[in-house]
Amino acid sequence: MDSRSAALTPAAAAAPAPSGPPFFELRGVHKRFAGVHALRGVDVTIEAGQIYHLMGENGSGKSTLIKIVSGAQPVDEGSILINGKEATSLTPLAALTAGIETVYQDLSLLPNLSVAENIALSQQLVASRGRLARRIDSGRLVATAVRALEAVNLPTDPRFWSVPVAELPIATRQLVAIARAIATEAKLVIMDEPTSALTKREVDNLAGVVGRLRERGVAVLFVTHKLDESKSIGGRFIILRDGQKVMEGDIAEHSKRELSFWMTGKKLDVMRYRCAAKGATGLLEVAGLRRRGAFADVSFSLAHGEILGVTGLLDSGRNELARALAGVTPADGGELRVDDKAVKLNRPIDAIKAGIGYVPEDRLSEGLFLEKPIRANIVVQVLDRLRNRFGVIDVRRSRTLANDIAGELQIVAANLDNPVQSLSGGNQQRVIIGRGLTIKPKLLVLHGPTVGVDVGSKDTIYRIIQKLAGGGMGVIIVSDDLPELLQNCDRIVAMRKGTIAKVFDAERVDEETLYQALVAEQPPKEQS
Amino acid sequence: MSDFAWDSANGIGSASPARVMAWLIRHPPVFTLLLIVMVSVVVGAISPEFWQISNIFDMARASVVTGMFGLGFLVVLAAGGLDMSFASIAALVMYSVTTATAAHAPWLPMPVILLMSAIGGMLLGVGNGLLVHYLKAPALIVTIGTQYVIRGFLLTFVGTELFINIPLPIENFGKYELWRVQTDNGSISILPAYVLVLVAAAVATWWVLNRTLMGRAIFAVGGNPEIAERLGYDLRKVHIFIFAYAGLLAGVAGMLHVSSNRLANPFDLSGSELGVIAAVVLGGARITGGAGTVLGTLLGVVLVTLVNNVLILAGIPSTWQTFVVGCFIVLAGTVFATRESS
Repeated sequence: MDSRSAALTPAAAAAPAPSGPPFFELRGVHKRFAGVHALRGVDVTIEAGQIYHLMGENGSGKSTLIKIVSGAQPVDEGSILINGKEATSLTPLAALTAGIETVYQDLSLLPNLSVAENIALSQQLVASRGRLARRIDSGRLVATAVRALEAVNLPTDPRFWSVPVAELPIATRQLVAIARAIATEAKLVIMDEPTSALTKREVDNLAGVVGRLRERGVAVLFVTHKLDESKSIGGRFIILRDGQKVMEGDIAEHSKRELSFWMTGKKLDVMRYRCAAKGATGLLEVAGLRRRGAFADVSFSLAHGEILGVTGLLDSGRNELARALAGVTPADGGELRVDDKAVKLNRPIDAIKAGIGYVPEDRLSEGLFLEKPIRANIVVQVLDRLRNRFGVIDVRRSRTLANDIAGELQIVAANLDNPVQSLSGGNQQRVIIGRGLTIKPKLLVLHGPTVGVDVGSKDTIYRIIQKLAGGGMGVIIVSDDLPELLQNCDRIVAMRKGTIAKVFDAERVDEETLYQALVAEQPPKEQS
Repeated sequence: MSDFAWDSANGIGSASPARVMAWLIRHPPVFTLLLIVMVSVVVGAISPEFWQISNIFDMARASVVTGMFGLGFLVVLAAGGLDMSFASIAALVMYSVTTATAAHAPWLPMPVILLMSAIGGMLLGVGNGLLVHYLKAPALIVTIGTQYVIRGFLLTFVGTELFINIPLPIENFGKYELWRVQTDNGSISILPAYVLVLVAAAVATWWVLNRTLMGRAIFAVGGNPEIAERLGYDLRKVHIFIFAYAGLLAGVAGMLHVSSNRLANPFDLSGSELGVIAAVVLGGARITGGAGTVLGTLLGVVLVTLVNNVLILAGIPSTWQTFVVGCFIVLAGTVFATRESS
């Protein structure tokens, strides 16, 4: 492919001219996880005072790359240089000492510590070089925290910074995490999808913070897939695909179309998988569903064979709605009817009995028994059906069922008796979907069906989803991957702050419009 | 609080009884204090003897060993671990140090003996910490194991006999008086000086937990060990410290037990574990780690001691003590559990 070496492009004008070696360099870095070659010889150079956007699809190696830069994972091959000096065996503390601060997607906040402690303790830890037999300088702790809070426009009142982080809403936590990153003398701040939970105004606020950092000579590395936001912030981009760097350059010089092409390796005009016509008869009727602190007044319906997308920001209530439909964290009120029969979903077993299959968002912690065989993972929900007359699991029938499912979902495994953790992300995901199918559901709720799954596997999973819907099954896809919803759904429910903001016809809406519906500001609601 | 961004962003208003409840949940020691007041008022109403100074002295004395154990347990719990071996450590340390001193150096001054006990307990604790860290096994399982190993070692290799001829310095230490009160009917009540050891331990533990980087690291690990490690906290140091500290307090507690009873019984202290855990949990510490206070733990110890010592004054048979403690634990557990889900 066209690989004009963009490393030769001069740095953007506002950045101070680099003198001497760059602040940070990765040379020929490889990283492998059980069976997955996550990074294959990646070179990255980070200059002081420059802004970088690390882009790529899910599973392209972005997360692995930042884990290596922040010292959380060692490299298998290749080298790391900081200020031109060899630093290949980088530890988290060494990275912090060098001024590399990371705002992880999970924010890495300690829920039981106060806002001020979360922001400013790291500074004292670094100052003591990890030694813990030190007094806390509480005066300096508060001063540092207050300065950082000011920088991100959060309250500097003791009644704010003495509160445990667990009591803050997610968007505020995000800002606290950013405050922590900039509290110390950071040289490089890495932000892993920092804007996913922020409103438009908060994103603008963040862009201002980034500008000020840059003036101080701090480099910022965004990990993102939001092209518009990256283009408005500006700087350089680095695109990863399947663990390799395919392109880098100045983001202002390239169109969104070009960037998307490099990220996916495909033309931007994405294929729409959805083709089948939905059935006419109602399958699911949801009326006034609510859960305190999560969502309220959620009403929609779903026909047999229809695919409905549900999306929203992190605090939109989409995740809670998905879990409520699965009976994992039940709704407090409202009505659910499946095939015109009222159902109460207070526990997962209620959902299973009502014919609702659920594929959880985090397959590693919520879905799979990682060390158990693939076969056992597939059949685990229907063990009572596989009992013989002595109450013992009939191994032959369980094998047959697992083989059928594995065939149907094209699970690529040497042997179904291998542990499920030996599979790639895409195949693991298919195992969970397959398990959802063993209960012969009328309705399948897919919660983030392709998170961390490579492009090829995505394609397979989408085709499977379409086939299931074609067979009359109702499907709800809860996801923050907008192209995924546009490609697969009949209708898309956009949620914002716990309520349905708008329902779109997936065929007649574009990504931009959909996204605007998710982030749009609305007049503050009256508080009760 | 509605003038702040995070509250309005939350979008969830709360009625005022809910706020009182929320405040209570955020300040668990208040709940413990309420239970203490409740028990005191009820027992005091039935039996005015309760309010006598001698009774209060008795409870202070009875709180010392439980309090020392509780503080050690709290430190381990704050980091998300459970230490079940403290009573065994205390038993081994008190019996070996007492018998060894009696045999070889009965003239050793008490501070040296306490120091030996502290070091002995600490070394056993370091063993716990290393096992927990390197085996990557749950602390509960590891320390149940070491609890049995240490007790087995004590009874097999050190001795099983009641040891009465304890060295004079140890015996005298238990007799130092902090406060002597003569009541109207002529009887004398004494508050022993060794309660100051518990006070010192409480102050030291409070200082470590709240004023040092180690203390914050302990809570960080208790909050989420993976994130704490990612932020640069050294899990090995934390693991070794918490168990060493708990061991140290246990060793000293064992020696205080000998001092106050004026004999060393290798079978003593066994079975005191659950009472200590009950006290710490009643004091508002979260059993899954990451939350707990020294003040709360001390109040929890007072509450358990109170129930164990005064129900008899109210004419309630002693067999009811465990019943009452059990009810309190269920009650406290229910109240504090709402904190997890909020």
